[in-house]
Amino acid sequence: MIKFQKVKKIYEPHDVVLNDINLEIKPGEFVCLVGMSGAGKSTLLKMLTKEERPTSGNVFIEGVDLADIKDSDIPYLRRKIGTVYQDFKLLSKKNAYENVAFAMEVSGAAAEEIEKDAPQILSIVGLRDKLESFPEQLSGGEKQRLAIARAMIHRPKILLADEPTGNLDLVNSYDVVKLLLKINELGTTVVLASHDTNIVNTIGRRVVSMDKGKIVRDQTHNGRYVI
Amino acid sequence: MATNFKKIIDSGWTNFRRNSYLSFAATSIMALVLILFLGLLSLQFLSSQIVASLQEKIDISAYFKADATEEQALKIKSDLSILPEVANVTYISQEQALADFRARHAQDELIQESLEQLDGNPLAASLNIKTKDTSQYAAIAEFLEASALRSVIDKINFYENKGVIERIESISRGIRGWGLIVTLVLVLIAVMVTFNTVRLTIFSQKQEIEIMRLVGASNWHIRGPYLAEGGLYGLFAAVIALAVFYPIAFFASDKIAAFAPGINFFGYFLVGVPQVVVMVVLLGVFLGVVSSAIAIKRHLRI
Repeated sequence: MIKFQKVKKIYEPHDVVLNDINLEIKPGEFVCLVGMSGAGKSTLLKMLTKEERPTSGNVFIEGVDLADIKDSDIPYLRRKIGTVYQDFKLLSKKNAYENVAFAMEVSGAAAEEIEKDAPQILSIVGLRDKLESFPEQLSGGEKQRLAIARAMIHRPKILLADEPTGNLDLVNSYDVVKLLLKINELGTTVVLASHDTNIVNTIGRRVVSMDKGKIVRDQTHNGRYVI
Repeated sequence: MATNFKKIIDSGWTNFRRNSYLSFAATSIMALVLILFLGLLSLQFLSSQIVASLQEKIDISAYFKADATEEQALKIKSDLSILPEVANVTYISQEQALADFRARHAQDELIQESLEQLDGNPLAASLNIKTKDTSQYAAIAEFLEASALRSVIDKINFYENKGVIERIESISRGIRGWGLIVTLVLVLIAVMVTFNTVRLTIFSQKQEIEIMRLVGASNWHIRGPYLAEGGLYGLFAAVIALAVFYPIAFFASDKIAAFAPGINFFGYFLVGVPQVVVMVVLLGVFLGVVSSAIAIKRHLRI
């Protein structure tokens, strides 16, 4: 599904962010990417949406080398991958419904389809009563659930979550994690970057530990937060 | 296609309403720019009208000696009329000149009495010549000087008018030349101010644009609503500018007519309403859309 092959990322002049990364993630896996801030977790995730490009090495998704994807085709790549961020990245000028609808519009969905699917996914994440609310009127947990709804609206095969619980309290964090696990059960490959020990240990799936741009440990089953 | 276009306009309109403060600022700046443009247009119109009415008043006359025959005068007239520079030539006979003179001074009893006292006609026959361009009067004067019938011409009044003619000419050249430069400079400043305002508006939404890119929006999808929003600034600015300009033109018109009779300022802009409205609206929308397009370009890198 996802494959990193000898991936290196160097910011000029010699700031090595990723160093010789080799990692393979199979369809349907739930992978926790752990490590301190600056270990390279976010950069690794950004490679998958082509926000960052490797200095050397290759990144493959479903067998396609991302280096072969033209700039003008990047929007299509991004529509196939759901992304969730610590800072939510919601459109502040659009209400909850419109935030989801926008993601559908950009992929050319028909109006009827949007009117049917958007409220449906919002009720799945528990925001049925907040369709008209703007992001600033939502709590942190609600914002993140809205972001997840938006990420899932295309039914992506991959969901990338970069510190999704970083801005949330314990209860909301567990709600978000439960949602991610549910999404994974339905067949989506989930990659979660986190430095929250409790969260990672609760999930208890594959854990990939990173330190200073390298993968230092890969526990394939019932992983614990260790670096 | 049509529904897409409507969708883009709709979301542009939604942005416009929700960013009401910035929309207001951008629209006001653009309205000022368009008012400035209308002002320059008026200035251009007024100066050209004034110069034209002055030029209208300029002509040269050739006065014939008392012994010149009408055939000789008409011969010169027909020689003149075939010159390309000449707009028209009128022959004024001695009798005609006297009749005109009498009519002009009909109220003045002293002059009427003096004329009664005279035996003959004291006035000379003359040719009144208008050229297509004020700069051509010198050439006409030269032509008359060189004419075979120069001997029957008493005097040519070009030499007395020469100074005035040249001054009007230099004023009109100056207005045309400097007017164009000033207009261009002001338009340039106006475009830069508009562009910067729109750029600030878009800069404030940098993050929104970034997010749109991350959820997989293509460049056109991001750009469309911003272009529509820019167009709406221009449209509203045009409406405001016209709403301000026409009442001002209406009230200024009387004052201008008092200062320069025969110029119907408001009438000119009233007759031209369709053209003026279309021009101002198009200019406003164009300015808004182009400013948005340039301003958003740098935020669209992948």
